[in-house]
Amino acid sequence: MATEIMTHPYYKVNVLTGSKGARIITEPEEAARIIDKAKTPLYVFGAEVIDTPVGDKLLIDYALQIAQSRDIPICATAHVKRKMLELQVTPDSVYDIIEIVHFLKDKDWTGVRGQGQHDLVLFTGVRCDLAERGLATLKHFAPHLKTFAICRRSHPNADYAVPIIAKGGKWQEYLAALVKTLGTVTPAA
Amino acid sequence: MRKGKMKEEEIKKTIKTEDGWEPVGPTPMPSLTDLRNWDFRLLQTYEPFYAPFCDLCCLCTFGKCDLTEDRKGACGIDIATQQARWILICCLMGTAAHGAHGRHMIDYLIEKHGEDFKIDLGSQVNVEAPIIRTVLGLKPETLGDLKKAIAYVEDEMIHLVSATHMGQEGNYKDFESKAFHAGMLDHVALEAADIAQIVGFGYPTSVADTPLVDLGWSSVNQEKPTIVVVGHNALVANSIVDYLRQNGLNDQVELAGLCCTALDMTRYDKGAKVIGPLSRQRFFLKTGYADVIVTDEQCVVTDIPQMAKDAGAALVAVSDKICYGLPNCSEKDVDQVFKMVVDEEQQVLILDADKAAEIAVRAAMALAPKRRELKKILTKEEATKLAAKCRGTCEACNRACANLLPINNAVFKTAQGDFTDLGKLFLRCIGCAKCEEACVNGIPILKLMQTAADGDTYKIRTGRGPIHDVEIRKVGSPIVLGTIPGVVLFAGCSNFPQDIYDVAWLAEELARRKYIVCLSGCSAMAAAMSKDEEGRTIYEKFPPEFDAGCIVNVGSCVSNAHVVGAAIKIANIFATLPNRANFELISDYILNRVGACGVVWGPYSQKALAIGTGAVRWGIPVVLGPHGSKYRRLFMSKKELDDWTVINGRTAELVDTKEPTPEHMMVVTETKERALITIIKQCFRRNDTPPGRGIKLNSYISAYKQLIGTLPDDLQNFVRTEKDIPIVYKREVISYLKEIGWQPKPVLSLPTIIGTYDTKVPIEATIK
Repeated sequence: MATEIMTHPYYKVNVLTGSKGARIITEPEEAARIIDKAKTPLYVFGAEVIDTPVGDKLLIDYALQIAQSRDIPICATAHVKRKMLELQVTPDSVYDIIEIVHFLKDKDWTGVRGQGQHDLVLFTGVRCDLAERGLATLKHFAPHLKTFAICRRSHPNADYAVPIIAKGGKWQEYLAALVKTLGTVTPAA
Repeated sequence: MRKGKMKEEEIKKTIKTEDGWEPVGPTPMPSLTDLRNWDFRLLQTYEPFYAPFCDLCCLCTFGKCDLTEDRKGACGIDIATQQARWILICCLMGTAAHGAHGRHMIDYLIEKHGEDFKIDLGSQVNVEAPIIRTVLGLKPETLGDLKKAIAYVEDEMIHLVSATHMGQEGNYKDFESKAFHAGMLDHVALEAADIAQIVGFGYPTSVADTPLVDLGWSSVNQEKPTIVVVGHNALVANSIVDYLRQNGLNDQVELAGLCCTALDMTRYDKGAKVIGPLSRQRFFLKTGYADVIVTDEQCVVTDIPQMAKDAGAALVAVSDKICYGLPNCSEKDVDQVFKMVVDEEQQVLILDADKAAEIAVRAAMALAPKRRELKKILTKEEATKLAAKCRGTCEACNRACANLLPINNAVFKTAQGDFTDLGKLFLRCIGCAKCEEACVNGIPILKLMQTAADGDTYKIRTGRGPIHDVEIRKVGSPIVLGTIPGVVLFAGCSNFPQDIYDVAWLAEELARRKYIVCLSGCSAMAAAMSKDEEGRTIYEKFPPEFDAGCIVNVGSCVSNAHVVGAAIKIANIFATLPNRANFELISDYILNRVGACGVVWGPYSQKALAIGTGAVRWGIPVVLGPHGSKYRRLFMSKKELDDWTVINGRTAELVDTKEPTPEHMMVVTETKERALITIIKQCFRRNDTPPGRGIKLNSYISAYKQLIGTLPDDLQNFVRTEKDIPIVYKREVISYLKEIGWQPKPVLSLPTIIGTYDTKVPIEATIK
């Protein structure tokens, strides 16, 4: 179902030129509820998780906590795997961003753990203009799944997007609250 | 509509069928649908991947139509077909730009030398025009023959443009087939244009060791009267060289260029300077160093008249493609125009090359003494003062940045007197100046960047043009066997996602691994902008031959044709396959046996899209940087999940090779690290011998370990038998393969997809 067109994303290059924009998930609790509700989620880590600071941590630290709290399989894109191994975590799959989007288009694909196509795909740390193109692909050609851009720059072509969060401290609070809330919110009926 | 007898006769006459250099193959001067089956066969394995840039169609007055998800436009078009239509439109723009360039160049040179002026590319190049020979079936001998090639491109384009109209083509695969056609025509135009300028202007040919020339914005001696040419058609730039020579002014006037005009100008005069690629246009023109700016065509930023005015520089536009609303002074007396330019400060359009050249030189000499004060860039104190208006918090510049750069922090630090971040930003800036437009305090960010920027001067080797037949004879066998791991062409624009240094890094990583690395256009310039500890650029470090571990600058955008030409020559000269009007046979050979890969790391232009799309039709995979996703279409397989059945040419039997090679035909990668391993992988071919595959796998494994830290996650897809495994990694790889349950795959020495689809080419033709 089409939703209200969202406000402009952080980057002008990503301004929506269409009629179906993301639902903005302002509260981390709501974000947690969406993730908790998913049966076969996937988390796609983009290259920027490696070196983007969030407070005194890196973005990858929060992304890993989100994934691990719900045993969400991880797809490491670009050269993220190297950093994950340093952190003693092995990704469930390694594809570049466009490749994983290509597989996600296919409703019959069996997913990164061979347990069936994913119903919710989280994205973090993908270069914003590239992420937006991948999200546009999935919006049009993957009606069998939902996408959630966990990115403080906001993404109109996702199904769910975080609002623009300009201040680093607020972003850290959002992520921390999301991690804390995951698994504690009763999924909506 | 099928070709009628009259059309067939016309083709025979055009390509001079009676010339018996080779029998005419099945597709002389192919029309829109002649290669459709080949295209559909490619699309069967490499499905189009669409990333809509806009969910709407705004092309006709039925709309706007919202095509979101499965909605259709009023005309019935769906979102996939609309993306494919855009792709065709954009490819046509690119092809038209190169084609019109070629037409202009050829007409000019015919005017100068006559239609019968012979094509002679020197003692090392006998197969002078492999693309034109293969596509048209014509062996061009004169400038007049090149005109025929361009006329063919023009004829086909009218039908292709027609197909984009509302209510014409209605299937995405057919639009893609037509885009392939446009891309192939683009290559014909590229080849015709470059051969014409090589023979017409006497550019280097049949020599690899071309001169090293100066590059960099600081290489320009602004103490002299300075002319800066901008664009891609060096015709007027060369006329300026002639005028300077004829009047003994070479040492008195500085001639420099931006984009491919600069590269081509240095093929004519090694004293000319290359300022840099497109990303440096605004940056440089805002320095005020240019007394006269001459704009020709293609990739010329549209607001140059305003920039020239702001800098107090004269502007002479010389192309009918870019007239800027200026008065056409082509017929006016030179002295009268000189007065308009110098005394009345008018910007002018001059469509006469010699006249434009004279005006540019005389105006530069007259204006330079008056403009000394305008040539100064900001001092650090001045820059700091201007930056002080920035509070570092609004981020309007960041949000507007087309390359997503953290501009505000750099400007804010500049206000504190620290120029370090702004200097680093310069290396990643694509020069669009949207940050300046967005800045609420009107801070001239590009001018600040001039103060912060590295002012080094570099060396670039001038474009060498065609690859020599003798070089092909030497490398043909090792390339086809796989023992030279691949031929990689870095082509296209300067819309780089990260540092401008990255092209040099990629090129060097590959050259060190013994790939043949070719560069052209803006990529060739960017690759020069990096030095090692000894101060050498890659052009000084690596030999310039077309051989393993060498770095070749072929030249400008139109010179890209020579690298595709080299792949064709491998099939034709080394494998002795007939190429005359034999597109499918040659492309099948390239796809299955020639480990070539094109890279456009900084794509933005429609021309680069046309070049890349044409490469795919020839069987050459293309790797794009992240901005390439905005082209909105890629060609990708589902890797090991797809059907990789081909025909064994020796037995004519179908064989499931189970190996995804080449894995994708057009793919975007996000980072330079991922790009390197993807390029290496895209050079695998089914035809690789075990030693050859071993060498390629050695590169793949070493790069993967270096950048990602483990054995490649998809290594099992590319190891066919244990003989493929490089000795140095044997134990580790065998252990891994056992762990994941790997099974051996067939190794074919004559793989082909001819025969797996409906074609006039017999399977036997693939064996020579």
